[in-house]
Amino acid sequence: MKERYFLFLSALLVVVLAVVWMIPIYALVTTSLKTQQEVALQKYLVPPQQFQFTNFAKAFQVLKIGLRNSLVITLTATFVAVFIGSLAGYALTSFNFKFATLLFFFIVVVTFLPYHIVLIPITHILKTLSLLNTYAGLILIYTILSAPMATLITGTFFMKVPPELEEAALLDGCKPFPFYLRVLLPVSLPGLISATILVFIQIYNEFLLGIALTRGPDVKPVMPFLAELKGTQIAQWHIQMAGALITSIIPVAVFIFLGRYFISGLMAGYGKG
Amino acid sequence: MRYYRTQGLLFLVPILVIVGIFYGMIVWDFVVALTGWQGLQATWKFVGLYHFSRLFGLQRFWVNLGNNLRWLLFFIAPTVFVGFLLAYLLNNLGRGEKILWQIFLFPMSLSFIITGVLWAWMYDPSSGLINSLLRFIGVNTSRLGWIALPQTAIYCMILAAFWQYLGFSLVIYLGAIKGIPYEMVEAAKMDGASHLTVAFRVIFPNVGHATLICTTMLAITTVKVFDLVWVMTRGGPGVSTEVLPYLMYRLTFDSRDIGMGAATSIVILGFSAVMVIPYSLWALKKWVRV
Repeated sequence: MKERYFLFLSALLVVVLAVVWMIPIYALVTTSLKTQQEVALQKYLVPPQQFQFTNFAKAFQVLKIGLRNSLVITLTATFVAVFIGSLAGYALTSFNFKFATLLFFFIVVVTFLPYHIVLIPITHILKTLSLLNTYAGLILIYTILSAPMATLITGTFFMKVPPELEEAALLDGCKPFPFYLRVLLPVSLPGLISATILVFIQIYNEFLLGIALTRGPDVKPVMPFLAELKGTQIAQWHIQMAGALITSIIPVAVFIFLGRYFISGLMAGYGKG
Repeated sequence: MRYYRTQGLLFLVPILVIVGIFYGMIVWDFVVALTGWQGLQATWKFVGLYHFSRLFGLQRFWVNLGNNLRWLLFFIAPTVFVGFLLAYLLNNLGRGEKILWQIFLFPMSLSFIITGVLWAWMYDPSSGLINSLLRFIGVNTSRLGWIALPQTAIYCMILAAFWQYLGFSLVIYLGAIKGIPYEMVEAAKMDGASHLTVAFRVIFPNVGHATLICTTMLAITTVKVFDLVWVMTRGGPGVSTEVLPYLMYRLTFDSRDIGMGAATSIVILGFSAVMVIPYSLWALKKWVRV
């Protein structure tokens, strides 16, 4: 009886907390659909009378260049980083190199060190290469910063592949690269998806490099645009919230549809393979 | 097999180059922090700790450092503690567990910029969500300035980050708790242990790795809150919510003082390295089966 009482109380507590956790999101969505007059009433928890989709059109007008830039940069850099990372993950886990442990250590450290500390050298490198304010420059930097994490995550998954698989393939005359491409990647598809999602979300959500390495709107990613939207639409909460919602569609969709890969990637990335 | 090893080395070339560049950039930071600069032009003259002594002479630097420590203290402990409790409760419930942890976890997929835009609105003193709700239930909100007041701004910001990261520690702990042998918990319950005892005397000591992961990762996150500071308050009111990466950015790009900016980077590097290096050594044991 006491146990049931405890279960009931804890269920209540957890549900109440979950509701509290959802209130900001609920308010964000409903406010993004209201008219300015409705917002001015400050009855934020009351649902909108009529869906005001023009808010989204307005916010999208500001954000669209940023969304385009972000997609170009994020998709390319994610692809390259996961490719480089998975090649390295394969080499590190399959060939028994003596220095593998040491290299792994260096990769782990780089993965977790905040990239903020190398902002100055990054700016200098891009300036020297005349790549400031270009897609190529941003893609290059994001690739460099994300490949170590991709190595860790894919490497963790590759370790679970039985070594007999590779031995058999190599005995049958399959070379390492075809083995990587045709056997290892398909077998470790979940790991590949996890790495891709985590790298993708990390780059898409990045802000500091987006403001430090670009001038003007041409190649600027979407997060700086959202920050600017907040600065220009002061107290226009419905527009701000519409912008926040538009910007969060991609990561939230990824989370909803591929959530379990998100979790397993997180676990792998933190050394809990 | 041996024949293929050269090919394996080839696969490593890109990551070797990348890791090399990264460590090279760290060395570069040191070089910049120890040499003279005229604007963006290097003079290549060794100036010793000149930039550091200027940096340590700034009052703003110490305010920033203090704020970083506040983040460490007031962000990590609650997120870890509540995350653990919630994981324990959820694991006990069994039912509806999945949907519930997803509710808590999904803010983590959002960026700090989105969280910042949302919470800056919620905290707005005159027309924000929080004050409007408080007024609705009859609270006088005229003195509740939230992020507009220097005394409370940083804690409000920490609360927003807590909202975003609670799901992270929840999920890490939930995974760890599920890894504990069921018999152990069952035996403790048979002996009449209360839930409090089970949670803190039986389970908590056995999920030490989760505590380590959460603490370290959240500590690293406190360096990355630059975005949140930028979008919510721009470091204000005054410099009351600035953190070191923010100072680094301002010194480098606004004051064009590369030397001091690099010196700040070195301080942040030291700050992060004491957490990252021990953690990496620990994590390595899990990856490399020795």
